[in-house]
Amino acid sequence: MNDKYPYLVVGPVRFNLANDIPMLVSAIIVFAVVFYLSRKPKLRPDGKQNLLEWVIDFTNGLVNGEMPGKQGGFFQLFAFTMFLFIFVMNQLGLFIDVNINGVSWFHSPTASPLITMTLASTVLFLAHYWGVENKGFAGYAKRYLNPMNLLEEFTNFMTLSLRLYGNIFAGEILITLIRNMALSGVVPILSFPVGFVFEMVWMGFSVFIGSIQAYIFVILSTVYTSHQVVSE
Amino acid sequence: MNYGMISAAAEGLTYGDTIFGLVTFIALVLLVGKFAWGPVTKMMAKRQDKITSDLDYADQSRDEAEKLLAQRKSELQNTQADAVKIINTAKANGETQGKKIVADAHAEAADLKTKAEADIAQAKQDALNSARDQVADLSVAIASKIIGKELTAGDQQALIDDYIKGLGD
Repeated sequence: MNDKYPYLVVGPVRFNLANDIPMLVSAIIVFAVVFYLSRKPKLRPDGKQNLLEWVIDFTNGLVNGEMPGKQGGFFQLFAFTMFLFIFVMNQLGLFIDVNINGVSWFHSPTASPLITMTLASTVLFLAHYWGVENKGFAGYAKRYLNPMNLLEEFTNFMTLSLRLYGNIFAGEILITLIRNMALSGVVPILSFPVGFVFEMVWMGFSVFIGSIQAYIFVILSTVYTSHQVVSE
Repeated sequence: MNYGMISAAAEGLTYGDTIFGLVTFIALVLLVGKFAWGPVTKMMAKRQDKITSDLDYADQSRDEAEKLLAQRKSELQNTQADAVKIINTAKANGETQGKKIVADAHAEAADLKTKAEADIAQAKQDALNSARDQVADLSVAIASKIIGKELTAGDQQALIDDYIKGLGD
């Protein structure tokens, strides 16, 4: 993966457009779909409302088991949005890959560690904020008298962000590799059908991985947050 | 330009992505919460309330229906008992009334009979009395007639005998 990326420099801040454009597109897709599905909610739900309620029930089920109490309500929304957002970002790069003159403009944003770390730090910030809110600062800090817990916070952050990044990044690399193999084999007539089959199989698997990783990210977020919120 | 953490660190972190990601995600959470999550979860909660209240209502209705059924059953039993009672009293009344009517009829008939017998006896007596008077009158008339005529003693005797014989019938 020696792709070049388009950068937008605004003063001291650099934006990697190959991350930001698909992220914006994912957010727009998530919002558009959810907005469409939630129009005119009825007491007796029809098809599209059922679909949305099914997803809501799914993420609520993840949250409710771990986190009772007043934070659960907002965290349900948080988990729901996080799940759909990561899910769409994971899948988007599989199907759309824009590369102009060796510059990649569009890939899965979650294949970049910066984005996954941003998401993970959002989760952990929320977790620590609620930890202080629920137990008071003394109660919150008491947990870190044991240095192992301090270490645990660091590993939580790393595992949460790097697991997602690693899975999606590896998936994208392999897709690119298989595509390159198919197009630039020694005997193109042989390599193309083989590459086509491999690519198809791997894409299917990547869809599965993308879904699983979105699910894992949300459930781990819930577990880490509930550690802070629920007093032992 | 290499892609990855190390090369990014080497060229300085592009923390624009972090800012952009945060803003995008927070905006997405808020928008989804406002336009989709809120209405749908509210409707889900409303549905749950409705189901709960419907179940409560159904329980209540069933209890009421059972109570009503028990009431109806006991009322029906009471009604049957009442009906039997009414029929029995009606039968008894009918019987006594019938007996009374028959007795009355008997008594009246007996009364009428005795009255009729008395009347008949009276009439017979009256008839006898009037006959006796007439006999007396006739005998006077005969006597006067006989006295008016010249009779032999034999004729007279025969006449009287004949007369008396005729009276005896």
